[in-house]
Amino acid sequence: MADRTEVVIVGAGAAGSVYAAILAEAGRSVTVLESGPPWQLTDLVSSQIWARRLKWAEPHVDEATRDSLWINLNAGRGYGGAALHHFGVWPRFHEDDFKEQSLYGKGLDWPIAYRDLRPYYDRVQSDIGLSGDAKAEIWRPAGDPYPLPPVRRFAQGEILAKGFAARDMHVAPVPMAVLTRPYKGRSACIWDGWCEAGCPIGALGNPLVEYIPRAVKAGAVLQPNRHVTRVLTDQRGRATGVEYYDARGRRRELLADVVVLAAFGIENCRILFNSAAGRHPDGLANSSGLVGSYIMSHSSANLFGMFDENTQNHMGLNGGQIINQDGFTKVRKDGPFGSRHFIAGLAVKPNNLLGIAMTRADLYGTQLDAFMQRATRNMTNMVTVGEDQPQRENRVELIGQKDAYGFPRVRVVYRTSADSMGLLNEGIEEGKQILAAAGANEIWNGPKGAQHIIGGTLMGERPKTSVTNRFSQTHDVDNLFIGGAGVFPTSSAANPTFTLHAVAMMSAEYLRDNFASL
Amino acid sequence: MTSTRRTFIHGTGLGLFSYTVAGSVVLLSPREARANGAAFKVLHDNEVELIEAFGEALAPAARENGIAHFVDQQLSVDANDALLMIRAFNVPPPYASFYRAGLAALNDYSIEVHDKPFVALNDAQTSVIIDALVAALGGATPAGWTGPPAALVYLAIRSDAVDVVYGTVDGFERLGVPYMPHIVPPEPW
Repeated sequence: MADRTEVVIVGAGAAGSVYAAILAEAGRSVTVLESGPPWQLTDLVSSQIWARRLKWAEPHVDEATRDSLWINLNAGRGYGGAALHHFGVWPRFHEDDFKEQSLYGKGLDWPIAYRDLRPYYDRVQSDIGLSGDAKAEIWRPAGDPYPLPPVRRFAQGEILAKGFAARDMHVAPVPMAVLTRPYKGRSACIWDGWCEAGCPIGALGNPLVEYIPRAVKAGAVLQPNRHVTRVLTDQRGRATGVEYYDARGRRRELLADVVVLAAFGIENCRILFNSAAGRHPDGLANSSGLVGSYIMSHSSANLFGMFDENTQNHMGLNGGQIINQDGFTKVRKDGPFGSRHFIAGLAVKPNNLLGIAMTRADLYGTQLDAFMQRATRNMTNMVTVGEDQPQRENRVELIGQKDAYGFPRVRVVYRTSADSMGLLNEGIEEGKQILAAAGANEIWNGPKGAQHIIGGTLMGERPKTSVTNRFSQTHDVDNLFIGGAGVFPTSSAANPTFTLHAVAMMSAEYLRDNFASL
Repeated sequence: MTSTRRTFIHGTGLGLFSYTVAGSVVLLSPREARANGAAFKVLHDNEVELIEAFGEALAPAARENGIAHFVDQQLSVDANDALLMIRAFNVPPPYASFYRAGLAALNDYSIEVHDKPFVALNDAQTSVIIDALVAALGGATPAGWTGPPAALVYLAIRSDAVDVVYGTVDGFERLGVPYMPHIVPPEPW
């Protein structure tokens, strides 16, 4: 037995919630199917241990190469998706991030320019409530001023700012999706550093505080614990709805006029592959053969310094206090291509992957305890983040093993680009110099990490070289849209969540305005 | 930064998990579960002994703080609900398989190096074993190690030990770090 809706959205994360709000507010019947639980703000327990519930686990994604994408860490499950545990760092992509092939002969071009997206950035920041200092961000492309004043700076932010200044490097407050004042009935941040565990007071902008409530108010129906396995198609190849399994493991179908795939990027690829049918023998929307290709991630490394003074490193935000984008220059003489930036003054807790104990994974026993006593008072934390390059061979592909519902799982084949590795090494070296200039008496760095997962369903002008058009509408199936960072043709070094929201808003409004003609 | 703001939401037992004590299911912290002799659901007696010894060597007080009960309880639930750090390392579920194999590998390696099981090692011998695992963080598998990657076994169980020793309300307090929860735990774990 099948139910029917006008729009079915797969995934209640950042992109899905934007689509749901805009389409429901336009009077469309909208159903959102989410594979995870229906998290509410009251579920966001202040504990790094309990925060792990918000991360991905199953169906497991294999990794075929040694450059890990930290998939479970980057992905989310349940209402809010990965945005429920994200740190709220929301810089805009820069103008040249959208035209790298044309300008530099590297990477790919987006089918849109920054100016196309700017109005959506401005509207999203007003919706969510961004804090920052637009004038201080000398690298920032044109845009409205932030609606809220910048985040607070605590001791480690002041200490690290001196290091940047000593090297003639400019810093600005990190642009954050965090309320520095009450906004639209939401509370302001109280700077206690529990961002990764989710923010139960709603100070950090995530889907639970803006777009999901708007969607529900407008009549959208959210259904948790519904695991979508395939997009259904008719003989003409058009999407007719989705197949899913409910919490009791029963197979269901939900018929729809339009399908929006807004699950995590890798899961979107898996659903498209598993939706192969008559007119789409190699997977849905895959006539280009590019579904799953061009997977990217930001190479990053944390840099730590030990200081004599109390750094107050438990205060503030996991996302940091100050940003430096002097390294956003794409081209370097005899150096790697691409942008990189520093974010400094990240609040830390004693445990967890990004916690204090893990910064010196080599210590154990009494040495670990002595280190913990010192580091909780005197350590500073900053991170260098570098752009990745789109490489076709970095891909998601089906494997023979099946999930609990009998559908093939996927693996990711990924190797960090040479440019990205170069940016990482350059950032580590420069970061250590900044820490030395700030007066650190011990300096060390963590291993290479991978922040964010981007690509797999790229947007582009031509059906032969991309999966979707500029409005995230698949070239092959008019009534199938893709939500999320999977459509990004380049990664920038900027955190993707703000751009993801802006692209989703632009695409959702196109869908809203052209619904009848699809 | 008012207490009202911090406490406006009342959570459901941060750090409390269900354990069976004297035939009854009760909610306890891992530390309390150990003190009350709660039954294990997944780990065998020899594995309990081993993870407590290893955890204690990695983070002093991990045994008393219930590392074995913490890991055991988390291995008994669905992977999507598990709170272990191993989840972040992209190890495929079920996680019990990894722990079982990892603990066995640790013990075998101890016998290979010292001709004694890990729990029978003195402090100096224990350090030899752990130093070899630390060296494995750089990518070199210790000679004679067989089983899951040595570095991963070390990182996973070290993380568990850190969780129960430093990641709790009591742990924060010992470090002098204000816990400052939005959702106030009814118990200090």
